[in-house]
Order: sequence, then structure tokens, then C-alpha cells
Amino acid sequence: MEFTRRDLLTWGSGITAGLVLTPVPWKLLDDTSIWTQNWPWIPQPARGPVEVKNSFCALCPNGCGMRVRMAAGWPVGISGMQHHPVNRGALCPLGFGAHQLNWHPRRLRQVGHQGRACSWSDALAAFRKACAEGPVAIIDGYPDRAASAICHGFARRHGSYRVALRAEQRALLPYEKWSGVPAAALGYDLENTGTILSFGAPLLDGWSAPGRFARLWSVRGAGSADSQLRLIQVEAAPSHTAACAWRWVPIMPGSDAALAAGIALVLHEEHRTAPNAPVPSTTLADAAARTGLSVDAIRDLARLLCEHGPALAISAQPNPAVAALNVALGAIGTRGGIVRRGRRTEPLAAADTLPSHLRAVLVDASVPADFLASTEAEIFRFAAWEGSAGRNDWLLPAPGFLEELTDIPTAPLSSIETYAVAPPLSKPPAEVKSAAQFLMAVDSSIPDVEKIIHARCRQLFQSRAGHLQGEELAAAAPPESAQAFEKQLWSGAVWVGDPPHFGGIPCRLTAWPQSAAPVARAGWTAAWPAPVLPPLATKLYQESSLREPPERRAI
Amino acid sequence: MASAVLTDRRWIARGAKRTSTSRFALWLAPWTLLLALGIYAAGLCLYYGLNQTNMDNRFAFGLWIFLDLSVIALGAGAFFTGFLVYILRRTELKPILNAAVVLGFICYSGAVAVLLVDVGQPLRGWFTFWHPNVHSMLTEVTFCISCYLLVLTLEFIPVILRNRQLEKAAPAAVFEYRLHHLVPVLAGVGTFLSFFHQGSLGGLYGVLRGRPFAFREGFSVWPSTFFLFVLSAIAAGPSFLMLVTAAVEKLTGRRQVPRAVFRRLGFLSGVLLAAYVAAKSVDTLIWLNVTSPSVGFAPWEYYAYPPFGSALLFIEIVVFGLLPAGLLLYPRTASSHRWLLTGAALACSGILLNRFVMTVQTLALPTLAFDEFLRYIPSWQEVATFGGLIGYGVIVFSLSYRYLPLFGEAKKEDLHVSRS
Amino acid sequence: MNTRYGMVIDVDRCTGCGACMIACAAENNVPPAAERATPRTGITPMLVHTVSNGMEGSLKREAFLPVACMQCENETPCVKVCPQQAVEVDASTGIVMQMPQRCLGCRYCMTACPYHARYFNWWDPAWPAGMEKSLNPGVAVRMRGVVEKCNLCHARLHAAQEKAAAAGKREIDPRDYVPACVEACPTGAITFGSLADENCAAARAARSPEAFRLLARLGTEPKVYYRSARAWVRALAEPRNETRRKEVQRG
Repeated sequence: MEFTRRDLLTWGSGITAGLVLTPVPWKLLDDTSIWTQNWPWIPQPARGPVEVKNSFCALCPNGCGMRVRMAAGWPVGISGMQHHPVNRGALCPLGFGAHQLNWHPRRLRQVGHQGRACSWSDALAAFRKACAEGPVAIIDGYPDRAASAICHGFARRHGSYRVALRAEQRALLPYEKWSGVPAAALGYDLENTGTILSFGAPLLDGWSAPGRFARLWSVRGAGSADSQLRLIQVEAAPSHTAACAWRWVPIMPGSDAALAAGIALVLHEEHRTAPNAPVPSTTLADAAARTGLSVDAIRDLARLLCEHGPALAISAQPNPAVAALNVALGAIGTRGGIVRRGRRTEPLAAADTLPSHLRAVLVDASVPADFLASTEAEIFRFAAWEGSAGRNDWLLPAPGFLEELTDIPTAPLSSIETYAVAPPLSKPPAEVKSAAQFLMAVDSSIPDVEKIIHARCRQLFQSRAGHLQGEELAAAAPPESAQAFEKQLWSGAVWVGDPPHFGGIPCRLTAWPQSAAPVARAGWTAAWPAPVLPPLATKLYQESSLREPPERRAI
Repeated sequence: MASAVLTDRRWIARGAKRTSTSRFALWLAPWTLLLALGIYAAGLCLYYGLNQTNMDNRFAFGLWIFLDLSVIALGAGAFFTGFLVYILRRTELKPILNAAVVLGFICYSGAVAVLLVDVGQPLRGWFTFWHPNVHSMLTEVTFCISCYLLVLTLEFIPVILRNRQLEKAAPAAVFEYRLHHLVPVLAGVGTFLSFFHQGSLGGLYGVLRGRPFAFREGFSVWPSTFFLFVLSAIAAGPSFLMLVTAAVEKLTGRRQVPRAVFRRLGFLSGVLLAAYVAAKSVDTLIWLNVTSPSVGFAPWEYYAYPPFGSALLFIEIVVFGLLPAGLLLYPRTASSHRWLLTGAALACSGILLNRFVMTVQTLALPTLAFDEFLRYIPSWQEVATFGGLIGYGVIVFSLSYRYLPLFGEAKKEDLHVSRS
Repeated sequence: MNTRYGMVIDVDRCTGCGACMIACAAENNVPPAAERATPRTGITPMLVHTVSNGMEGSLKREAFLPVACMQCENETPCVKVCPQQAVEVDASTGIVMQMPQRCLGCRYCMTACPYHARYFNWWDPAWPAGMEKSLNPGVAVRMRGVVEKCNLCHARLHAAQEKAAAAGKREIDPRDYVPACVEACPTGAITFGSLADENCAAARAARSPEAFRLLARLGTEPKVYYRSARAWVRALAEPRNETRRKEVQRG
């Protein structure tokens, strides 16, 4: 029996009509919608209990308090901790994407020596050998932690301890030079300042603990002609801070010191300077010429500083002229000015100059990625991600974000002392080791981080100083025992020291300082210490025009 | 017979003069290449996603939407000719009816194919039918275009079945005979559907409150662009049909339809074009003076970005509107075949320009105070898909011309009657 | 009581830091940029624009304008044009809800939105290996070819409603429902709340004489307000005006 064209047509139309009457085509159609929603290559979030825990960011020394949402045991969201006295619930923009850093494709997972893969035992052997052969330097980026005590302890026996200071910490060095009070013991009493004269400091855009000034300014300084806190931004080009400032004063690039001198001159002429303040040797006309401002404009600025006090001058980079202006304004050791917090007497040794004839240098992961050790010694660089600058003979994978227990000492530049404990919230990869753990493996007499933290908590409790601040603590009575005190700290409370006392900074500046060479303005990612940006940072520069493309890649 | 292996003589109607198989294959070759390239480009888009195009969040509609709107407007000759022949009984257009249907089929099937590539999730194409939104012009467009494509297919099938070989299959002949009676109904339905989707395509832009360049008030739920698009489509359709027929005549070297058909099409196009220009001018004046300023958008702001200045408006309405209407209606030019075709070409260009202005210029223009005027250049994948559509169209039309009674329908009609 | 969730953004407090943009992306499982992504093909449900007064040199003034879905209340353009109702206005909250699972990817809504607040997934979302562990379980991950936009962190509203239900309450505690951008803003520039509740801070701020809405004359009744003491910022409510801009620049 042959199959004719007629049969084809008959059967064809019959089958088509029949199929339409069955559920088959309709089910297939419905299935397509399910397929298109669940393709296997679309990642699904983990299912699991969701809880919120407190911790603190240790990526930079500001130690901002965070609330971390956890799902199935991993951090899935970050928000600010409202009760933290320094950042008050605010975080830096990049911090909101920090929980994704640990899976960054440039995460370091393997010990490397000059490009070759090695093991931890190789690195330990090399470091032990180096310690035996000569002095080593340990460079720390986040001093005063328990891990820092380990580094310091090790360095006392085997070499020297140095700290890689951030620009904003260095800006306090002139006061250390003139008063002998360590810069690390100084802070700005911004909460009581009336007028801030900022010399290019990105106060609203990545300076100090970003949340601190942002919150303060929002309450006292933003959006009204008659602000309680007046921010005068002195800057050549309009920045984000300049756009929001109460007044923006554009000056010629690099003329900050000249302006500071000019204002000090006016204050001196009008007899408004602090007693014994040095007088600049320059003239007002000279200052006007260098800055591009008129003489009247400089006089006006000086008047503004006196009109709505207390006044404080802040520069982003160390600038002795700006520091001298603070002396002239009487802002040293006074309310709303530079204040002393804590009882530290030893200054931090900066890592800018390292001893010569070093055998090896160990750089902690907390040291910013752009740090360059000026040394010929063998460098053991700890980092959680690739991309640290300079020649790093050994690249050692360190714990990443929220992956290790640490404590959070007082934030730089704050006017009060604080202390907190940041428990790890993310399981670190098996291959990572912190510098402190590494040093403990070399010198087993060193106590571990947890023991040091316990000791510190006990010490704080016994000192009876300050108080604890936390969400659940508002109504509760202060803890009765050291254990209860420590338990609070481990669950996210912050110990806050006594309010700053004024005075105590004897300033012996007699002559107006020589001005330092102007430093180029830092980009918007300068304050971010890790070698890589959080992947979501692309929202800010690649997927929008809000920011310039940074040198460091996000992903 | 020489070249018995390669010849397709038996597929060609008896007595019809067609070129040799090898020459025809040569003719098809570049269009096939174009189509192949188009399919490849479309395949890339389907596989890798729409990031293969240069469309973006601000130019969410690009070359392809312009293409769809233009092609559907130009394909309006199908429904309009059907309407005139079967509903208004204008039998002098019968010779061109089949060609109009095939052209319509090409335009609509091509547009639907490109639309399926244009959407992000083609497998969800059926969602519009299952969850229709009665307020959306695009729902209306989807329904009407799908239904109308079905209508065109049903109108195309009898033409295909008139092929010399296919005719021999008795069921095919019976089916074709039955369909024959359905055709006037199909023509009526087609007219109704076409009226609505041609209009809704205009309505797509006319309802955009957020784009005052395109937004128009109108009648009830239909903005004025709804009616303007219908009018411009039925003005352009006959012109496009004229141009395609003239192209076939040029390529084949012989007349396909009586000159009267051209003159009739030209006259229709001219009258409709004149009506369109009048309506468009009124609409433009209202838009410039009332609609746009009422929402704070000063009309001269739209033309502040060279080369998209106000000259464009002038060119669209006068050079490509009033001028061809004049050429098509003024007896001296209307009786000249060359001027008739010039008028037709200008009319079609006017419709293309209008669709371009509505799709591309609308999206380029700023709305928010801090928007910029944007530029968009289609990627090669978009252009290649466009090219593929043209290749597809030429191939289908060429095959139809070669194997089917595309023109001279009247003669076939006689043949049909004498057999029964 | 019917809520009408909206926001008032204080432009004078926005420093353009972008914390809202990143917090939004983290909360809503938005992937990091594809390699070829640009400002016109990226996904930024919250987007901060830099705006200026049109002057140059020392007269130039800048401000920052965060733009997300305006949650239009009247004749919501995207809702009206979607061919398969993949977006609707939630009657009880006023939130314009986008359903990427139903979206066909025709992008008609994107041409309709006057605020350009809708984003298309031009690529499949991709995270580096392991990073999917950091995804927020409350929000579905989209696939390529669909449109998405700000949903006022609807997952957080849902969680707040669940919490209230578990405690046997009918109304949610407003402190439990705070969208990611509002929470992240370091200066507290965004005030969020129900505009229908007269006592709510957001409703009061929206009634301020310094408050304005973008392109208000289009009649879409957006529920996102802005506020500024600066007249040139308030002038941004009006559409772009090249003629005026050139006049200002010339003299």
C-alpha cells in the first residue's frame, strides 16, 4: 500500500487536530514558562535559616560596626550598626558589597614564592631562616589589635615593629612633633566643632570613619543656610564634599599652605590668635597671589572662622601649615578641636622608613594594598587578594572579610576611646593563615588572639571606666561580672571610654613651619585598603557615571 | 531535453515565460547569502542574548522596531487591496491582488520572526495571549498581528496551491476551492484586524505619557497617532506595491499588469497621502501648540540637536508628503509612469521617515532635566538581521513569481472555470 | 488602612557616595557588571545622577540626585503598556510590582518610563564561583532577557508582614520595613514611609514647600519626592531646556 500525497495531507491534518485536543501542547507550553524561570545556569540563593548578627569591619582601622544578615551560615547582607558611637549605623559605600569579597576571583588561595606555588611549610621554613640570619621588621596596618600585640611581641625579640599609617593619621604627625603627644593618641572633637575649614579633606567622601562625619553633618550641618556646623571646603576642583559644603572656596592647586598662612596672618593682625602662636613670615598679598583669592576673601575666611566657633582646620594629607593654623586658632586641646584620648605615650613608628640591613620584612594583611616597603629585604606579604603593590617575594593567603576573630581598638581620629570584639562570621578557606598565626607557629611562646582578647576584656571591666553601648543594653543594668561584660562585647556591644578631656597637649611651636610639598589629590577609592574592590563597585563607575574608573579593578 | 536534471520547468505554469533555472539560481544566490547571514546574526542574538545588539536601557527599541513598524506599514497594501477588491468590488485591482497578498505575507511573517528575536524571552511569547492587558497597545498589536498573519497565510495558501504540480493533488484543489469562497470573509476580517494593528502601532507611541515628543491626545483611548498610522499605512501600501511590481517588470523585462492598475494604485495612494498630510499637519500644530507645552515641554527643544533639527519635520510632511501626493494626483505627472513611481518612492520614504522619527528620535530626546541627547548606531547583528529579512522577502517573492500565478489572476480564473 | 509607600529624598543631604546603589544591588541580587556593560547597559535599580546648575568655573554648583522607580500612582506608564501584565500596582501598598518571571522582555515599559528607571538584563547574571552563597535568599535571581526595577525592597516588606503575622498583629512595625537604600544612606537623606499616613515623617516632608517631584506636570503622580533649599535644584523638576541652558551659560 503506497503512501500518497493525499494520505500525507489527511494524516497530517488529522494528527495536528488531534494533538491540539490533548493536553500535550498545552503542557509543553506551560513547561516553557517554568524552564525559562529555572535555567540551570542561573544561580539560586541558598535556602536556610536567616539570622542577623553583629560584627565589625576590620578592612580598615576605623572598625565600623555592622549588622550582618546570615543565611545558611554565610553573610548575605550588610547594614550599619546603629548603636556604634563612631559610625552610628553608617558605612562606607563599598562596605555594603564587602560580603562578596571572599569569593572574588582574585582571592589568594595558594602560597606563592616569586610566582611559583609553594606550601605554608616552605614559607615558615624561609621565615625561620630569615629570623635566624638577621633582624626582621613586622609591618602592621591596623595597630592596637590583639594581632598587633602578637606582631609587636614578636618584633621585640626579632627586630622591629612598624605601622603603615593612613594619610589622615599622618595629618596629625605635626602635633606629635610639636607636643610630644603621640599622634595615635589624638583625635578630632568634631562633635563640638562650629566651623571646619577643610583643606581638600574628603570629609563627606571617604575620610576617617565615613559614617561619623556623615551623620554629624546631616544632623548639624546639612541643607540650611544657618547651619550649626559650617563646613568650608577649600579645594581647587569641585569634589563631592565641595558640592555639599556650606561654602566652597576654590584655590589654585597646591596653595593650601599659603592660604593657611594668609589666614593666620589676618588672625594675628586682628589680634585673634591664640597666645604664643607663631606668625607666618609671608605677606597677605603673597598668600592672595598664590591662592588666586583676593585679600578680602582671605580676610572674610578668617572672619568666618572666628564668627562661628570653635573652628578647626583639617587637611587630608600631613600639612604643617594647616596644623600651625590650628595652633593659631587655639584648636589644640580645646573643645571642638584636636583632643587627646586615652593614655598612650609611645608614638607609633611609621613604616615609611625601615631600618637598613633588614633580613626580612613581614607585611600584615591589614596594610593597604598600595603600600610600598622601601627595603631590599625579603618581603613576606600577607593578603587575602592578589594585587598588592610592590615586589612581594612571598605572597601569603590571609583570612578575608569577617573570616577571623579580631578585636576593634579605638578608631583613628575619634575623640573617644572605644573597644569591641569582632567574631568571625564566615568560614575561611582551609588554605589561609593570618600573620599572627604564622608568627605563633614560628615562636610558640606568643599567646593567641583569643587569649589576648579575653585579657583585654577583663582589664576593661576591672578598670570601671567608660560604659557599654548596645542595642539590648539600653534598658539593662551594666554587667556584674567580667564574663557578662565580655559576653556583651562578643555579641556586638561597644565599650565607650570617658568623654574627651581638654588640655593635655602642650604645643611648643615657635616658628611658622616650612610648607610641605603638595600631594596629589587621592581618588575616590584611596581610602579602600584591600587590593580589590567589591564586585558591586561596578555600579558606581562602570554601570553609571557617578565615579571615575579606578585603577583597581572590581571584578 | 538538455539540463533535464536541473530544470524545474514542470513546476512553472504552462505558457508562462520564466528565465532558465541556472540564471534563477544565480539571482537567488546573493539573497540566500543575505538570508543566511541574517539567520546567523539572529542565532547569535538568541544564543548569547540581546547584548549582541547595540540597544541599551535608553534605546530599548532600536533598528528592529523601526524595521517592524516600517515593514508592516509597507505591507498594508495586502489588506487594503483585498478590501478594495472584495469589499468595495474594485475589480480593476484583481491582477495585483495575489502579489499584494504575497508581499503582505512576507512583510508580516518577517516582522513576526524579527520580533521573536527582539524580545528577551521568546519562549514566553505566548504570555501575552494568556495574560492580556486590555490597556496596552502592544497586546492589541500582538493579537491582531498574529491573527492577521494567520489570515494572510490562509490567503497565501490558495495561491500556492495554484502551482502547476500542486494543483494536481485533488484534495489540494478541493481545499483551494473551498478557501476560495472564504476569501471575501478573510478579506473583511483582514481589513478589520489590519485597521486596528496599524493603528495600534501608532498608538504604541501616542500613549507614551513619559515621552511628550510622541504623546498625543486623541479620541477616547486612541491617540491621534493611531489614526495617522492607519492613514499613512494605507497610503504607503499601494505605493510599495507599485514599486515592487515595477521592480519585477524591470527585472523580468515584461509588463505584468495593465498600466491602469498602476494609475489606480497611484491615485489611491495620492488621495490617501493628501488626506494624511492634512491630518498630520493639523495634528502637528495641535501638538506643537497645545499638547506638548501643556506638560512643560517646549516644542522647539525637540529640534535643538543637529542634525535632527526642525528640517526633519519639514522634510517628512512636505518633501515626502505633500510633494508625492501632488505627483500622484496631478494629472500630468500621474499619467507618466516614471513620475508615478517617483511619487510612490517618495511616499514610501515619507512613511519610513515617520516611523524612524517615532521610534528612534523619540528615544534619543531627553525627558529629565539632566538627560542628554543620545546616539545609537545598530550593531552588525541588527543590520544583518534586517538584511536577512530583505533576503527572505526577495527569495519568497521570487519563488512566488516563478512558480505561482502572481500577476494576471484574471486569466487563471478563466482557466479554472473551463476545467470544471 | 491603605498604605502608600513613598520616599522623600533630601538632595541637600545627598553626598553622592553611592552607598544606596551598592546596598540596593546587594539586597536585590543584582550581579556585578558584565565585562562589556556600560552606564547604558548596566543594572542599577538605584542610580545616583550628578547634576549641575549649568554654570562653569567657580560658579559651577553640583548636586546628586538618586533616582529609582518613582512608584507612579496615576496612569502608571509601565503598568498601562505591559502586554502581559508583568507589572502591576499593588493596591494595598501602592508599590509598583515588577514580576520578572512573567516578563517577555519586549522593553515597551522601558520606553514608557519617563524616569528611565527600568533596566534590562542584557546578559545572563553571572557571579564568580562560590559567590552565589552571598545571595539574598528573599529575592529571586532574574535571568537574561527580562526587565527589572526597584520594588521598594518588597522582600523586606514581606518579611515584616511575616514577622507581624507571627506575633499576631495586623499592621507591620514600620521599623521592620526599611528598604536597603534608606538603611544604607550615611546622611539619612532618604525618608521612607506611607504618604497616606499624615503623621508619617515622609508624608510631612512631602508636603514641605521645598519638596518637588521630577516631571510632575506629566501627571504620573510619582510617590518619590525630592527636597532642596536650593532653587536651581528645584528647577530640575522641569524638563531639560537647551534654550535656557544656553542663555544661562552665555550671560
